[in-house]
Parts: sequence; structure tokens; C-alpha cells
Amino acid sequence: MRPGLRRLYAPRRVAVEVDPEGVPRAVAGVAVAALREEWLVEDRWWTLRRLWRHYFELALLDGSDVVVFRDSDGRWYRQRA
Amino acid sequence: MAAAPYIELHAHSAFSFLDGASTPTELAAAAAECGYPAFALTDHDGIWGSMEFAHACAGFGVRGVTGTELTVAVGPRVLSRGRGSSSSQAAGEDPIFAPPAGEHFHLTLLVEDAAGYRNLCRLLSKAHSHTRDSPQRAAGQPAVSLELFERHAEGLVCLSGCAGDGAVAGVWERGDSAAAAGIARRLLAAFGRERFRIELQRPYWRHDRARNRWLVGLAERLGVACVATGNVHSHARRRARLQDAFVAVRLGTTLEASEPRRRGNSSSALASPQAMATRFAEHPAAVAETLRLAERLRFDLTAELGYSFPGSENPGADRELAEVCRSLLETRYAGSALSKARDRLEDELRTIRRRGLSGFFLLHRDLLELAREVALEVRGDGSVRSILPPGRGRGSSVSSIVCYLTGLSHIDPVAAKLFSGRFLSDEVDENTVAPDIDLDFPRDIREKLIPRVHDRYGADHSALVAAFPTYRPRGAVRDLGKALALPPAEIERVAKTVGFHERSGEIERDVVAAIGAERAAAHGWQVLRGLLDEAMGLPRHASQHPGGMVISTRPLLDVCPVVPAAMEGRQIVQWDKDSCADAGFLKIDLLGLGMLSAVERCVEEIDRARGERVDLSRIAFDDPETFESIRAAETTGVFQIESRAQMQMLPRTRPQNLDDLTVQVALVRPGPIQGGAVHPYIERRKRLREDPSYEIPFEHRLLEPVLRETLGTIVYQEQVIEVAMHLAGFSSTEAEGLRRAMSRKRSQEAIEEHHDRFLVGAVGANEVPLEVAERVWRQIQGFSGFGFPKAHSAAFGLLAYQSAWLRINYAPEFLCSLLNEQPMGFYPPDALAHEAQRRGVRLAPPDANRSQVQCHVETPRTARRRALEPELRGGLVVRIGLGYVKGVREEEMQSLVAERERSGPYRGIADLASRSGAGRDSLERLAWAGALDNLLGDVPVIGGPYGCSITGTSGGGRREALWKAGVAGTGRRHGEGTQMALPLDTPGGPALEPLGEWGEAIADYRSTGMTLGEHPMALMRGELGSELARSTDLEKIEDGATVEVAGMVVARQRPETAKGIVFMLLEDERGTVNLIVPPPVYDRHRAEVRTSPLVRAKGRLERREGTINVLVSAVVELERSPATPKSSPQRERAVAQLRTVAPAGHSFGRRR
Repeated sequence: MRPGLRRLYAPRRVAVEVDPEGVPRAVAGVAVAALREEWLVEDRWWTLRRLWRHYFELALLDGSDVVVFRDSDGRWYRQRA
Repeated sequence: MAAAPYIELHAHSAFSFLDGASTPTELAAAAAECGYPAFALTDHDGIWGSMEFAHACAGFGVRGVTGTELTVAVGPRVLSRGRGSSSSQAAGEDPIFAPPAGEHFHLTLLVEDAAGYRNLCRLLSKAHSHTRDSPQRAAGQPAVSLELFERHAEGLVCLSGCAGDGAVAGVWERGDSAAAAGIARRLLAAFGRERFRIELQRPYWRHDRARNRWLVGLAERLGVACVATGNVHSHARRRARLQDAFVAVRLGTTLEASEPRRRGNSSSALASPQAMATRFAEHPAAVAETLRLAERLRFDLTAELGYSFPGSENPGADRELAEVCRSLLETRYAGSALSKARDRLEDELRTIRRRGLSGFFLLHRDLLELAREVALEVRGDGSVRSILPPGRGRGSSVSSIVCYLTGLSHIDPVAAKLFSGRFLSDEVDENTVAPDIDLDFPRDIREKLIPRVHDRYGADHSALVAAFPTYRPRGAVRDLGKALALPPAEIERVAKTVGFHERSGEIERDVVAAIGAERAAAHGWQVLRGLLDEAMGLPRHASQHPGGMVISTRPLLDVCPVVPAAMEGRQIVQWDKDSCADAGFLKIDLLGLGMLSAVERCVEEIDRARGERVDLSRIAFDDPETFESIRAAETTGVFQIESRAQMQMLPRTRPQNLDDLTVQVALVRPGPIQGGAVHPYIERRKRLREDPSYEIPFEHRLLEPVLRETLGTIVYQEQVIEVAMHLAGFSSTEAEGLRRAMSRKRSQEAIEEHHDRFLVGAVGANEVPLEVAERVWRQIQGFSGFGFPKAHSAAFGLLAYQSAWLRINYAPEFLCSLLNEQPMGFYPPDALAHEAQRRGVRLAPPDANRSQVQCHVETPRTARRRALEPELRGGLVVRIGLGYVKGVREEEMQSLVAERERSGPYRGIADLASRSGAGRDSLERLAWAGALDNLLGDVPVIGGPYGCSITGTSGGGRREALWKAGVAGTGRRHGEGTQMALPLDTPGGPALEPLGEWGEAIADYRSTGMTLGEHPMALMRGELGSELARSTDLEKIEDGATVEVAGMVVARQRPETAKGIVFMLLEDERGTVNLIVPPPVYDRHRAEVRTSPLVRAKGRLERREGTINVLVSAVVELERSPATPKSSPQRERAVAQLRTVAPAGHSFGRRR
């Protein structure tokens, strides 16, 4: 990417607590009120930059709606819904 | 094991064609392993794989459920926003006779009972009925209208469709919930609460939960149950990638570009019932409903088809068949043969009565009578061909005396000592199927016969059998390479290098050979190799069997869907030959046999050229000259014994009569080769020739009566059966099981199932030593590869002899007929022509004033202006037809010839352009082929190798002819005809340099695929170095000497049975050279061996019993040969030109 340019809505690392099934319990310290959706993206496996993301759309107790995902290394990211 | 909490009711196999990545058998096996008690296969718009699935499920102890995912066109009035088609079709209009209009959605159908199966077949047939309506008959999207769908609800359970494209969920996904609910209400009205379910899926897509919440709410409002399904697309997770790639292939695009249409993740792989129950934890009722619903879906495809063939219910069939046969017996047999034949006939008739097959034979006889009518129409009354039977039997049916007497076979089974047990077993069990009767016809008769069969039995009652081309390395590299967006030039190089039947390790080496180690190591190519491993053997699309037809008493589309074939006037059932056999369908093989067409053409040409009428059934079958040529392996163009392998064997087996030829035809097959029969047979024949008192060493005395005629070796399929019966005491039923095992796709495993029984019978009951029993078993095992029954070999052996006899006695006519029947046989036309020229047969190039559309034999009697035709005085000449020129329009050539016959020869190119009806494009192609040379008048010609200006004598006016054709050929095609050019003289053209011999050879290859002038090797010879031996020099070089040879590649073979050895046949100006390329040499020179049309090879000369081979140690492309003197750029350019136009040598890969 050229200097001075940046991706819009790039995923950002976030701290997520999960239950024994791996479903988020809290995001950035805010408890999850409801799981709205859960989906899986496995793509670009034919390239050197394989994509594996387990997404969750969550309603948090503070009333916000967030989308987070876990990547193949187990790291959590927050992404714009 | 705990009871499965879930049953899968929605799964796709590879028979969804590029939307499913596992075979039905793989799915059935995986379902059994996961503990599914029942499992449904619901391929898109078809049940192509359902019979295989049903039998596989039965074998694995799973209850197979039959179904489909049908495409339904939903019209704009149903879709509330009026999207999609602008068609005015509305509910109530007859949707049967017009392609259904509207947006396409999916509905899942599951068969509950026989009435439901009938409806499913009818719906699928209707869905496909409009798929070949385009002018090119390209396959379109099958679909039925929603209205038609609703009218076929009886006996079917309808699920509301998949998450993405389902008629309810898919419409909701597109934001039209009102229309989605409306469709659900209509389906409920059509199917009722008992047989309609709202389908919930969990593909792990973004809106799964919202969609399923809405669907559950809809189901509650409608008062119907929900059912969970997995929409399985592969039996294992590793195939999910291939499924992704298949989507890209189906859409004709790349993986990157197909992202919105791919499944997005690997969750469509088969999961266990427990995992599926967990996946639907929020919908336990929908999970439980899978069990309740599956309980009702009891239709068994393996047992409830209700098929019968016409005549099977005829109570007088037994009497009728017996009368026909007995009435003919005494006209065919006399003396002691009559009594033998009578006993055999009565024996066969008894078996036929017992098995209820009299109607089956009468039906075949009826078909043959139909073929006789068609043959008369095609051949013309009074033609020399009209005395020939319409077709010939092949396969095991030739052993039947009933077939012989009813005209279904042309071989006397009593005289030929043919054993009919392979064809007609007396033992019947639940697996016994009707015997196969295969009939060969000349191609022209077969083309007309197939539609006539439809007319005779009704289009609803007859159809061709389907065939499923499967992924092989070359096609897979092209398809999957494109999906991966690999460079097209690299894909093509690799595709040309890989063999037809290679395994993955070899493919890897081929990739390196084609594009180099560095590129082969690139990530994309590595991914491709992984995909290739998974894709091999999966069906890619549906096609038609070469000639297998099924005929039914009931309308066929009540027992199997019938769909239009790519060829006009033909239709196919959705099952291949194995599925049709499993269904118990009567399959009749009406096969087109190129050599049968060729010998008939030859007989016709002999009559036309010489006025001699040859009856091939009455020729001398012991002609010494014919057998001498066979023993000398001079068999180029001869049916069945022209291949390199046969030619190597003929001087060693030295056939003396038709019986020997029968063995010869069967010997070079995978079965006898793998069973180790070939070398013992050759050796024992040699010993017998040297010492007639030589005693054949049989493995065991019990085998002597069975294997005497093949000198103690197993050559024929029925000998396998007889060996099992004699040595191991197999009953007829057990032997029939073994026979069937040999015929199956995975025959090796199937044969092995009989191993223990064989040993127990041989060692236990007959006291055969264990090591002997095991040795004999290994010979039987060999027949997991393809083998011939003796009856089939006898039929083919006879045709082999007849073609050899024609080749010897009527060489020009025989060559002419071979050229007209291409493609067929082992050799390309160029090699056939050169071989004939070496034997003194004269050929002449295409000529607008002399050629017919097809090749023909010119005689002084038939040629016009014979006093002016000095080249005809010596005898017959094979004139190449104008239709041989690539790219010309056949109807224009017909018009050109007709005008010449009507109004006399063309006086020049302008005259030709104004009278012939040929357009400019065709005229230019004729000019480039040299067909207009004689319209130029005298042309000064000079020419030399590669177009150098060396004085020569070849006709060099093609450039001028091309220039004049371009000027004069102003005719324009309009619709069906051509507006002819004005008859204006062409002005004198510029001074054009003649092409020269080399240039003409290039032009010949480019325009007709063959050259009749100097062989390219002769033109190059002077520059290739004196160390290079010609093919004829090899006869004088001592055994074991190192030689170098060069030539054009005529054929390459890499037989499965040859342990990686590649055989190549090179041709130079004097003959052919056999190369044997051992695996290490092949590995070093893969690209050259596989793809180069011109090679230079170095190796050791091996001479053995009349055959000469070169055991190769190095192969290079001819123009890159390091051994040649410094090559000139001119030669390299010339050879490169030739390389692009030289006929591709025939490649014969590994075949079963």
C-alpha cells in the first residue's frame, strides 16, 4: 500500500472472553447480552494468504452491536458491522 | 451405538455436475461410517447417480433415499416485486410445451412411494425437455414451472429448498418475504401438511439465524413442521476445496471471481448425525423431524421400478422363437453337425424358456429386421453392399446358436466351438441380469437406425443410455488450472504433456518437464496438484453412450428420466450402462464400427472402379498371400492387428488360419497380458512348430480340456469361468458371479472376493496343490483388466482377416475407404498414405477438376480425357477428396463437383469461381491445398528444401492460385446459398516465388493433414548427419549396436500393463521404427516423448524373432539435436513450421 493511504474499516485487535464452546462472553470487558449471528469464512485457500475467520455478531450489555472474529491463529479482531 | 439423532435428507454427489465433489459410493460409505441409518441423495435436476447410490447404500447397510433438488421457474406474478423474466406466462397457461419462464429457485423432492418416483421421473424429464432448444443444441438450464411442479405432488415429499437458492429461503434472502410466504402456501396446498416441510439449513452464512427464525415463524403460521438438512456437497472436508474449484469451473471463471457463488466455507462436508444435531441445537424439533420423515421414505430404487421390455409379456413368445430357429436349422446345418446343432439349440431354447427370455430374443430379431429395412434404404437397392447383412454380432452373444439362426450373429458357434455359458447361464439368482446382445453396424446405417428405433417403439419407450465422461489429468489441468488463474500458456504446455490416465506422482514429474522445476514449485501449481488428486475419476458432465439403447413396455419416463441428447433426434435416460444393468433394463448395443463401414465402402469402391462384386462372406478364408502378409506384420490399416504391439507379436505367433487369428485378437489385451498368458503362448507355439510332438505343460490335468486350444494359457473371458468350474468346482451361479465381477468398474476388488472360495474348492475338493491353485488364481486375477470372450474374438478375427484380404487384393480401394472413414484405427491418414505409397499404391492430391468430395479411386475407365492423363495409364490412383481440405464447406464442395459433372471441367480459376458455388474462403483453402494448381496452366516451377530457390520440378503454383482465387473469388454467402462471382478473367498477377517442396509439404499438412510429395525426413536428410540411420538400415545393423534414428512420431503408447514403458512409432521416408523408452529415459525426456512431433533418438538395436526395436537411451526434439552439425537458422525455422502443422501422433494412454 502506498505511504499515506490506509484501509478503511480495517479489523482491529480486541480482547474477547469466551465460554467453553468458544462463543464470546465479553468483548473489551463488556458482557455479551445476545448472540445475533455466527458465520464462518474460509477463502483464498489457493493463495499464500489463506483466510479463515469465525465471525460473531453480538449485542452487548451496553446496547452496542459489534462484529468480532477469531482468525486461524486464535486472535480476536473487531470489525465494523 | 446410540441411535442416530439426525438423518441427512439433502446431499449432492458429483452427479450434480460441478456442484458436488464426491461419488455416490463415497457418500454412502461415509454415511455408513458416521452411523447414518438412512441417507438421501438429492442431486440437482437429476437422478444420474441414484442407482449407484442405492446399491452402494444397500452394500453398506444404509437405507438410501431417492430424491432430487429440482430447479423451479417462479414467474413474475408470484414474485411480488415482479423481478426477473419479462415473460407474460402466467399460472394457468400450459407450461408443458414452452420453456418455463421466471426466476430459478430450488425445491428438494424426496420419494415416498412408487407413484412419487413416477412423478419425480416425469418432472425431471419435463425439466430437461427444453434444454437443447438452442440452434447449437448447447445444454441449457433444466427447470419446470411452479404450476407443473404442483401438478406432480403425489407420492413425493417436498422440502422448501436450500438456504441460498431455495424457493422459500432464497426468495426471502432476496428480500421478498411476502413472495416467499406465498410460495410456501402454494406448496402446502399442493403437497398437504403430511408431505410439505419448511427446510432449515445452517451453512454458517451471515444471516443463518435470522433466516431460520423467519422460516420457523412461517412454519408455525402455516401449521407445518420444519426439518433440518445439511446440503452436503462432499463426503469429506478435504473435498471442500475441490467443490469451490468446481463452482469456478461451472461458471467458467476463476476462484477469485466466483466468490459470491461459492459456499464460503467447508461446512457443506458430510458431518456425523451428532455433529449435525449440535449444529441445529436451537431447532431440536427440526432435527427430530428428520427421523420421522425418513421413516416414511421407504421407496426402494433397487426393487420397485416395475420395468419390463416389449415382448416379455407375450405368452406365445416361446413357441414363436422355437419355430423361427427350428425352421432355419436344416438350412444351415447338415450331417453330424446338424445333430450337434439341434442338441445345442434345444438346450439353449430350454434355458431361454426357463429364464423367460424368448421375448427378449424376438425383440432383438425385430430390431434386426428394422435394421435390414434401414440398410436397404441407406445402401440402395442393387448396390453391391445390399447383399451384406445389415450388421454383425459382437461380444459373447456370438456364441449363441439362437443368435446365429436369428441373424443376430454371423459366426457358426458349432463350427467355431464357442461356449455359450458366458452369454446365457442356466443358473438364475436375484442378481442375474438379461444377457447382452451387441450388434455392430456400419456408421451410416447406425446413424439412421437409432431414430428409427425411437419411431418403432415410441419416443416414450426407447432412449439411449447415458455415459459420464470423468475427470482425467489433461482435462482436469485445463479446468482447474483456469480456476486457479494459472498462466494459460503454462496450462496448455502441461496439459499437452500429461498423459490420459496418469497418477499424481507422474503428473508432478510432467509439470516439471513442461514448465521447469522453478515454476512447478510455485504455490498455484502445488495447489493444482492437490486438486487433481481429488478430482480424478469424478464425472464432469453427462453424455450419450456410443450405442446402448433401452426399450421399455411402460413409458420409459415412468422408470427413469429421459432427457434430450446433444445430437438432434436422440434422447438419453439418466443412467449409464452399469446403472441400467443394475435396474434390470434390457440394453441393446447398436454400435458403430468404423472398420465395418470401411470394408463396406471398399466393396462398393471395388464395384465402382473395377466392376467386380465382392461378397466378403464367400472369399477364400485361407488365402496364402493374406496370411503371409499377416505373419510378416504387414498389417497397417488392418482391423485389430495393426497396432505396434500386435505387429511385434505376429511374426512370433505366426497365425496360420482363422482360429489362430481368433486367439491373436484376444491375446493382446490387459487380461491375458496381466495374467501372464502371452509369453507362454508364444513360446509353446514356437515349440510346437519345431516339434509337433511337444506336450503342452498344463498347470493341472483338470485344466487340459479347458485350455487346450490356447496351449495351457487363459486367453478368453469364458476360460476364466471354465477354469473356476473345473479346477475349483464353482457352480454356474458362482461362475456367473465371477464373470460379473470381471465386467465391473472396480473389478480387481470384486474378483478378489472369490479368491477364498477358489482356493477352498481347488485345494479342498480337488486336491490341487496350494501353490498351483494360487498360480492359477493369479492368472484369473489378471482378468480384472479387460479381456475378450472367445465369441467376440471370433467375430473380430473374421473382420481382421477380411480387412487384411482387401488390403492385399484391392489395395487402392482399401486405402481409399480407410481415408474416408477417418478417424479410426491406429494410424493417422498421413501414415496410412505413406505406408501405401511404399507398397506401390499411387495417390494423387485434391484437384478441383478431378476430385470428388470424398476420396475415390480413379481408373482410366472412369477418368475423363484419359488420353491426357498419363499418370493413370499404369492403373488405379487414389484421388484425395476435396472434403479432405480443412475448413471448406461440404455443401460448397458438393455443389462444385455437381456443376463439374453437369457442365464439364473448369477452364480456369475465374471459371471455377463463377460456376462452382464455392465462396472465396473455400476457394482459397483449395488453392493452398494445391487443388487449383491444374487450373493455372503451365507454371514455371523452381523449388528446393525450405523454399530455397533451387531448380526443381514440383508444382509450385499455389501462391499464384491463391492470388487468383482471392481476385476471382468474389462470391458471397447469403443464408443457405452463395451469390456467384462474375466470370471475369483474372488479371496477370505479380511474380510470385513458388513454394518449393518444403513449403508445399507444410501447406499440405496445414490444409489436409497429409503430404503425398517427398517425406519431410527425405527433405531434411542431407542436413541431419550421416550417423543417422534410416528405418530400412536397421535390418542390416547387428543386434546390440548403438544406433541413432529420427522421424515423425506416428503413435505413442503407454499401456497400463507395461510398467511405465513408453512405446513410440517413428516414421521416416522409408518406413517405421519402433522405439522402446524405459521409465528412467522417459522421466528425463518427458516433454519430448509426450509432445514432440519430430524426434531424434539414440539407443541399442534389439532384434528378436523377426522384430526390430530400438531401446532408447536419449530422445531430443529433432531441431535441437546436439549431435547434428551446426544447424542453420533456416532449418530451425523450417522445422519449427513443420512442428506446428505436423499431424499429432496418436497417443494411447493407459486404458482398462
